[in-house]
Amino acid sequence: MSAGGQALRQVELTIDGKKVVVPEGTTVFDAARLNAISIPTLCHQQNEAPVGVCRVCVVDVGARVFTAACVRAVEPGMVVTTNSEKVRRARRTLVELLMSDHPSPCARQQHSRDCELETLAKLEGITQPRFAPRSTSRGKDDSSLSIAVAFDACILCDRCIRGCNDIRGNLVLGRTGKGAQTGIAFDHNRPMGESTCVSCGECMVSCPTGALTNKGTVHAALGPDARPVTSEELLQLPVFKGVSGTFLELNKGAIVQRHFQRGDMVCREGEYGSTAFYILEGQAQVSISSPIAHVKTDGGARGFLSRLKSSLARRQEDRREEEAQQRYIPTDGPVDLAYENPVAELGPGDLFGEMTCMNYYPRSATVRAQTDCTMLEMLRNVLDILQKNKTFREQLEGTYRQRALDSHLRGVPIFAGLTDDFINHLRETVELTRYAPGEVICRQGEPADSFYLVRLGFVKVSETYPGGELVLAYLSRGNYFGEIGLLGVGQRSATCTALDHVELVRIASADFQLMMGWFPQVRRSLEAVAQERLQQNRERLSLVRSVPLDRFLAQGLMEAQSLLILNLENCTRCDACVRACADAHDGVTRLVREGLRFDKYLVATSCRQCRDPLCMVGCPVGSIRRRHSLEVIIEDWCIGCGLCARNCPYGNINLHPFEVTQGEPALPGREMAVIQQKATSCDLCTGHKEPSCVYACPHDAAHRVNPREFFARTLGSPTAGVPES
Amino acid sequence: MRIDHTHKKWFIASVALLALAGAAYAWSAWSSPHGPKGGSALGLTFGIVGSAFMLFAGLLAPRKKVPVWRAGRAQTWMRGHLWLGLLSLPLILFHGGFHFGGTLSTVLMVLLIFVTASGVFGAALQHYLPELMTREVPLETIFEEIDHVRAQLRAEADQIASAACGSLGLAAGPEEPTDTSDSRLAGGTTAYKQPTAAASVAVLAVTEEECAPLRSFYLREMRPFLENPGARSHPLGDAAQARSVFQELRRRLPPAAHDALKDLEDICEEERQLNRQARLHYWLHGWLLLHVPLSLALLLLGAVHAAMALRY
Amino acid sequence: MGRFQRTTRKLAQRINLNYFERPHPLRRWRLLLSLALPAAAVLWLGWHGAARDNRVYSSGALSSAHAVLAAECGLCHISRAGVFREHANDQACLACHDGPIHHANQTFTPSCASCHAEHRGPVRLAAISDRNCTQCHANLQARSGPPAYERIIEGFSARHPQIGVLRTGKGDPGTIKLNHMLHMKPIRVGPNGPITQLECEDCHRTPAMNEPWRFAETKPAITPAAAKPDPLAPAPTRALMTPPKYAKTCAACHLLTFDRRFQDNEVVPHDTPEVIHGFLVKKFAAYVAAHPLELRVVREPDRSVTGRPVPASVRVLTPLQWVAERTAEAEELLWRKTCKQCHALHFPSGAALPQVASSNITVRWMPQAVFDHEKHRMMTCVSCHAGADTSQATSDVLLPGIATCRSCHHPGEDAAGARCFECHTYHDWSKEKSVKGRYAFHNLLGVSAARAGEPSQAK
Repeated sequence: MSAGGQALRQVELTIDGKKVVVPEGTTVFDAARLNAISIPTLCHQQNEAPVGVCRVCVVDVGARVFTAACVRAVEPGMVVTTNSEKVRRARRTLVELLMSDHPSPCARQQHSRDCELETLAKLEGITQPRFAPRSTSRGKDDSSLSIAVAFDACILCDRCIRGCNDIRGNLVLGRTGKGAQTGIAFDHNRPMGESTCVSCGECMVSCPTGALTNKGTVHAALGPDARPVTSEELLQLPVFKGVSGTFLELNKGAIVQRHFQRGDMVCREGEYGSTAFYILEGQAQVSISSPIAHVKTDGGARGFLSRLKSSLARRQEDRREEEAQQRYIPTDGPVDLAYENPVAELGPGDLFGEMTCMNYYPRSATVRAQTDCTMLEMLRNVLDILQKNKTFREQLEGTYRQRALDSHLRGVPIFAGLTDDFINHLRETVELTRYAPGEVICRQGEPADSFYLVRLGFVKVSETYPGGELVLAYLSRGNYFGEIGLLGVGQRSATCTALDHVELVRIASADFQLMMGWFPQVRRSLEAVAQERLQQNRERLSLVRSVPLDRFLAQGLMEAQSLLILNLENCTRCDACVRACADAHDGVTRLVREGLRFDKYLVATSCRQCRDPLCMVGCPVGSIRRRHSLEVIIEDWCIGCGLCARNCPYGNINLHPFEVTQGEPALPGREMAVIQQKATSCDLCTGHKEPSCVYACPHDAAHRVNPREFFARTLGSPTAGVPES
Repeated sequence: MRIDHTHKKWFIASVALLALAGAAYAWSAWSSPHGPKGGSALGLTFGIVGSAFMLFAGLLAPRKKVPVWRAGRAQTWMRGHLWLGLLSLPLILFHGGFHFGGTLSTVLMVLLIFVTASGVFGAALQHYLPELMTREVPLETIFEEIDHVRAQLRAEADQIASAACGSLGLAAGPEEPTDTSDSRLAGGTTAYKQPTAAASVAVLAVTEEECAPLRSFYLREMRPFLENPGARSHPLGDAAQARSVFQELRRRLPPAAHDALKDLEDICEEERQLNRQARLHYWLHGWLLLHVPLSLALLLLGAVHAAMALRY
Repeated sequence: MGRFQRTTRKLAQRINLNYFERPHPLRRWRLLLSLALPAAAVLWLGWHGAARDNRVYSSGALSSAHAVLAAECGLCHISRAGVFREHANDQACLACHDGPIHHANQTFTPSCASCHAEHRGPVRLAAISDRNCTQCHANLQARSGPPAYERIIEGFSARHPQIGVLRTGKGDPGTIKLNHMLHMKPIRVGPNGPITQLECEDCHRTPAMNEPWRFAETKPAITPAAAKPDPLAPAPTRALMTPPKYAKTCAACHLLTFDRRFQDNEVVPHDTPEVIHGFLVKKFAAYVAAHPLELRVVREPDRSVTGRPVPASVRVLTPLQWVAERTAEAEELLWRKTCKQCHALHFPSGAALPQVASSNITVRWMPQAVFDHEKHRMMTCVSCHAGADTSQATSDVLLPGIATCRSCHHPGEDAAGARCFECHTYHDWSKEKSVKGRYAFHNLLGVSAARAGEPSQAK
């Protein structure tokens, strides 16, 4: 605004009867301020270019109309009156008008009693505006993790817009709408959380009212023993470069520094948490202490009189059909754990606990301090700030590329054959992308341009068909998608949506094709998988078209591959099935003889092996997966957090307690017995031709059936089922 | 077990066996000097086969105790139980030559007839009642858990009622003392331990006096019914009466309370169905109180009879 | 439903997962009863065992003959050391009964129990099944030589031979000349008596019938002493007919008059010729002593049958002569006419008096079988003995054939029994040996009675 270095002409003028001399080009507002005459304002801030939208700074310059002091440049001999009765009345009216369109008290006034508008109004003695308020709300936006947006409180001062665009240069905020519908907008009027906002906090700091406020996370989560870190300290850390200090100040308490002695437990697998850790100093060890084994029920296969027994078995001992060759256990950190030896190290600059923090998933692994170490523990809003910070991101992505991409790619069985050269090439070229919950990654029918590897979070793959959406799969860490489009028609065959905070490794089409060219083995495997997926999709679609989508769909039976049904006309409610199930599984039944009815059948509460297995969503270690035969299977590294049990819409997953011995951390060398949980669902009494429940039903009532085949006749005819709900 | 077309093979086999046994019996009755006699070779065969059938039928109970033994499907056992158990009566009658004999054998015969009769009765019940229950009790739950579910329904009703017309002044009842005791199933129940408090019902905008009828109805009529749903004489125990009661209430209450009223009505309906279920269940399983002990006594005395008959 | 969207999960959440481990009252009662009822059964048996009463194990009530032995199983089921089985054997039976052999030539001797089935309620033990007999008689084998009887007998209604006398056709061996037909027609009793119809029982009666005989002697030769009947005497049987006796059945019509000189048709006793001769001599001697004029025998002139005039003559006899003449005359009448009418007389050469053949009336026509007229008393005689009205010859056997029997005696609901034992007996009782009793009261009536020491109080 001013051309520094160049000698400026001085201008003399009178403000409130006082003669002042200021350089040419100075605004009236600045001239008054320099001379200790205060003019109230709302939209103007020292560090931002004046826009003169609020008009509160009106002054009388002797012209036909009052002018806004912040934008009016001084003129020689100008006589400015800032405080005459007439000016005061005009300002008062302006504030009154603004107040009539502002909820009082707004969020800011409620929290810190420093809403600038309301302070001004109080100063002006306005308690009840004479003008009628707006009849409809302008709404709010809670999508951002750290900043709450209340459009009702916005006075369109543009301070946030200037802060975002001019000061930070993020170019996220702007104006939208016309007239009374005018408002601020993020990107192309997207929810703030899904926008390109990096959560630097500048807009919020700029806002004079409660329109943009800090969400102020619950500080109690971090515990009283930790030392809160000041914004100054934080800003000295390279990873916080570029973050608004005020914003950090506002979030004080949402980030703490912790010191851990060697051997201290940082977090324990399976626990719920809401924080992420950033290692400043020292080394930490990531491990899984749950026995790496899955629940195996057997015994009956050997002798027909022996009882079934549930035990833990590693996959080497109990090879299951189409057992994955997965060698890495995904964790919520920059490293994956090897199946054989689930221990890894983390060092300074590593961030872990992202999934827990962002999606409230249980901890995926246990972290102990290997040396004395210092960590920052942060809540979601601070993590969000960090993750959106360019410096931090670069660091994180660098770490990922260097350390994890390798194991991550090779963790996918079909990529195991890639050479180091190619992986090094990919390190440079892959793009790490993030998606907010609900964001569409690619749409069915769009041209395919890249291949994705899921790094974090869950991706829902769905297909639209006339009449609705059908979920094909949920993909978690280690899964990949996009190959069908690239290998085949060049169009996306399904829509992929981020279910939660998703981070993906995007391999561009060119690199993908390169890979296909170099590694025919990988190509063949991928093509086989793609073929299989397409085949399944086709089957499913043909199915959807052939089945009347009535209550069959409503009960989720369509999604089920195998139902335990009880023919209620045969069933005498003797509970033999439940007893058999409990008997077969160490006294813990995996079957509840209760549920909804379909036709004359009770669909009992027992794993349905859904095509749309919601249980898989959120597994912190990706332990629950499906075989190619689509059966739900729980991998050895289940940590017993119970999320799948909560997620199952039908209540079909239970946790099975096992007593195992493990080293006691306090006394090394001592073993102690602890109860470890392992998720279990109906295992169809593996090793037997028939599940025990069906086998034990004396009344020919219980059956394990494929619902579509079984109910084909029922569905074909317009037989009304038993009504309920 | 429902006797349907899947029993065809068993039926044919049983009839064939019966015909065979009948022919053998007729032949022996015609040919042996004293007519059929338990001690003769054929009589002994009848006795052994008949008691083997009884024993097999009796083994169903231990078979059910170890459901995971792969010792044949339970329904095969059940079919065997039904048909062979039924066959044991004519075989034993052939064994005794339609004579009841001495005290012990008379007792045995009477026991056998009672056991068979109760079994046939039970089979008939099992044939018809499940269908009836399916038709009449769409809201059925697990019989053993009816009390538990009722406690939950009661709590829910309290919640709805107190949301509709303010605090009811009910003491926090000693509800669900059983619920927390499943320490063994701590893991198994994690999936089920979601707090049900999520169903907090918004307090309705109904004034005190407007909801007075609901309040008094709930405290005087419905709560006692929920506490003792077995009382048949209670007006809410009858679907038609309950409908008119609620119709009347609906007339007297402002529309804002109608949703709550509907919920309460649904709860009453569920209670009634649970009542019905419990009654049907008692029928469906009550006959076993006769059948099982009698058959145990029969097997025991039968063994004594066999030993004594071989002796004398 | 506003309050509660019923979903599988919500429904399942209402359920306490280990509900099935808590026994419901229904199950608890089932268990309780399952224990209680067998326990009661054991107690019941135990109680009987404690009282050392094994009657509960009896396979049925004893026959009435053995009813008294019900409490003492050991009398028949004799226990032997080291042997579990205690079947009743023949020794036990033979302790009280002799069981004479059926036939000396039989190929095997069945055990008692194989025919006499005990524990079948109060039945006649002798009422054995035909199968017991036909096991041999259906194809009879003798130990040596061919069997003396019909080889194949399968039962009364199946293959059964005709009654012996009818089968052989030998005829009635009786010597009394009797024309049944004449007797069954109306008869004038005596020269001027009324017309009378004879009934069967006027001649044929069982010993038990004690009604007066219609045609008995009007003046019995010897009046029996009027002894009071002994009520404890064995009742006379009603099974078979006694042979008709002259005195009771014939005397009223068949008068044994011998001489007109005697008033009131005086008759000779129905006795042997020697007795009659003595009677006659005595009678005539007494008569001539009373009527000496009779010694002068005047014969009126008359024309003989040949037309030759017989001159009148007068002879005076000595009384001895007279008696001899008269006796000879009377005997001539008797031997040649009166006696001979019924009896077969035969005059040996050189003998003064004839010999009367034995009447040889068959009382029991079926020597191998039993027949009881009493059991058939509801029937008229001729319904079975159909030939009685028409038979004219003594040799006619009026026994009905087996076909007549079978008209009632055939198997089936509405028939009289046709089992072997109803006519035949197995044991040859003629060979029965006497049995020496060996039991005291307490042996028969059980230990309790022995302990009480008062057999009379035992039940």
